[in-house]
Amino acid sequence: MPVLECKGLTKRFGRTAALDEVSLTVEPGRIVGLLGPNGSGKTTLIKLANGLLTPDGGYIAVCGTAPGRESHSLVSYLPERTAIPTWMTARQLLDFYGDFYQDFRREAAEEMLDHLGIQPRQAVKQMSKGTREKVQLIMVMSRAAKLYLLDEPIGGVDPATRDYILSTIIGNYNPDAAVVISTHLIADVEKVLDEVIFISQGRVALQSTVDGIREEKGMSVDALFREVFKC
Amino acid sequence: MLRKLLKHEFRATGRIMLPMYLILLVTAVGSNLAGRGMLDGRYHILNILGVLIITAFGIAICGALLMSFVLMIQRFYKNLLQDEGYLMFTLPASVHQHIWSKLIVSSVWFIVTVLAIIAASLVVAYQGGFLRELLDFLRYFLEGLRKLEVSEAFNGTIYLAEFAVLMFLSLVAFSLQFYAALAAGHSQANHKLLWSVVWFFGIQFALQFAGSLLIIGSNELDVFNRLFSHWDPSPTVAIHVGLLMAIGCVIIYGAIFYAITTFFLKKHLNLE
Amino acid sequence: MQWQFSNDAPIYTQLIQQVKVGIVTGAFPPGERLPSVRDMATEAGVNPNTMQRALAELERDGLVYSQRTAGRFVTEDNTMINTAKRSLAERHVKTFLEAMLRLGFRKDEIIDLISKEFGEEEADHASA
Repeated sequence: MPVLECKGLTKRFGRTAALDEVSLTVEPGRIVGLLGPNGSGKTTLIKLANGLLTPDGGYIAVCGTAPGRESHSLVSYLPERTAIPTWMTARQLLDFYGDFYQDFRREAAEEMLDHLGIQPRQAVKQMSKGTREKVQLIMVMSRAAKLYLLDEPIGGVDPATRDYILSTIIGNYNPDAAVVISTHLIADVEKVLDEVIFISQGRVALQSTVDGIREEKGMSVDALFREVFKC
Repeated sequence: MLRKLLKHEFRATGRIMLPMYLILLVTAVGSNLAGRGMLDGRYHILNILGVLIITAFGIAICGALLMSFVLMIQRFYKNLLQDEGYLMFTLPASVHQHIWSKLIVSSVWFIVTVLAIIAASLVVAYQGGFLRELLDFLRYFLEGLRKLEVSEAFNGTIYLAEFAVLMFLSLVAFSLQFYAALAAGHSQANHKLLWSVVWFFGIQFALQFAGSLLIIGSNELDVFNRLFSHWDPSPTVAIHVGLLMAIGCVIIYGAIFYAITTFFLKKHLNLE
Repeated sequence: MQWQFSNDAPIYTQLIQQVKVGIVTGAFPPGERLPSVRDMATEAGVNPNTMQRALAELERDGLVYSQRTAGRFVTEDNTMINTAKRSLAERHVKTFLEAMLRLGFRKDEIIDLISKEFGEEEADHASA
């Protein structure tokens, strides 16, 4: 059973269609890149999969059910913005995730926080922007979810943090789960991905495997992306 | 799940309200001491200090009331409609549970704040023999109530319960007015707060209008006269009926806001 | 172990090459256990499925073998490692020659250049 499935999915804001008849599937065990320029509909798709938006047409299912309370316990979501409450300390954050998610691996999270040198009594407020993003990612990746939806996990961070984030994603890989990473920084994530979905002006322009593209076209996904989305 | 939401909601708000109560208590004790001789004018500095402490107590009362109001709005706005909303609305919890956790917690803080102010005022008024007087008063009050119960079939406990329910539901409905306006305003793409204000006054106006229509309509149809020409309740029953009708009205009023809030949070959530 | 990738070839073929180099140079010594797929993928910064695919290919070639529970091991067969070494060397020579021929060198000129280069190296060693 696919962990994420869309058929003819449409979402409009006013008169403009942010997503226009999008159909795609993501199978378990895959790390999939959702690639497209800014404003192409990546975030809209991820928000729909999280039930933060309601579709205007078509169908979207996560682990076989429509996004909602049930799917939320199976999906681990990294929003584009830092959403963790800033007044909480690291320990309170661990309590929070542990209380609400049965699949939360507290020890794994503690180990990763410790590795970053974050004290349990340190408040999110006192952390730098980069550290907050790392902490949020640690919380998200510490869940044994069926689907990870990561919206721009490496946008706006320095290259060292970027490496840390990508190795955290690989290090927590689970063959039963799928990871969807939305980004426009393709060169950085390309090696981490099994598959890519190009999304352009609310439509799926291409879905293929990374090595398939390299084999057939003799060029990297990044180079192909630049060709497809040439301004 | 509601229990867990409540736990974290109390955690988030308690860190602000509990220190408020502590300030209230400290300034109350200070005011009590100030009242015992600081103000008799022998020493100018003590005099000023006494006035300052009592002023601080007054400010602490206003602060606690204001803070319970601000928190009620701020928690809904910041925790659900701002960035934290991305975290909250992807928890395995329903929109209903989110709304109720906010409603219950803010109502509890309103009630605790009022009780804390009463307690603090008693602390200020406390002097030798005060406690005995207070207990005496309460005993007279309860005795009087019991006599009434015997002679007039007056059930004080039920009145108090009805009154408490009415107060709680009024608090809930009061908070829901703001939730509904915020939820509706934030479904817009831009100027979300401005739209919230517009919605707030829009809903108020619509309800006033509907209420007026209802009153005019019932006057026209002579509902009350018809009702009471067939039914002549005793005063004690009439109070019950009055309280229950008030409760009914508050429930209808609150339910309208509740429906608006859930509609927008479920179908038209539009986080920035 | 240094992992480097070019943009023009599939990642799994590049992984096969680099693990081979690791085995030939002794970064992964004969008979030693390889790290887990996840650890190797994390270290190389690549997708675990791609690493798995590359290792499966190496297993088919016989350079690594797996034991059901203990994991994957480098072969102890030295002839096999030497064959791999030789084929890697041949590949380098081939690309080198292609580049030289494209630059317009003839066979004898190339040999001449190489022996001169070696001669200088020997002189360097002698003076040091």
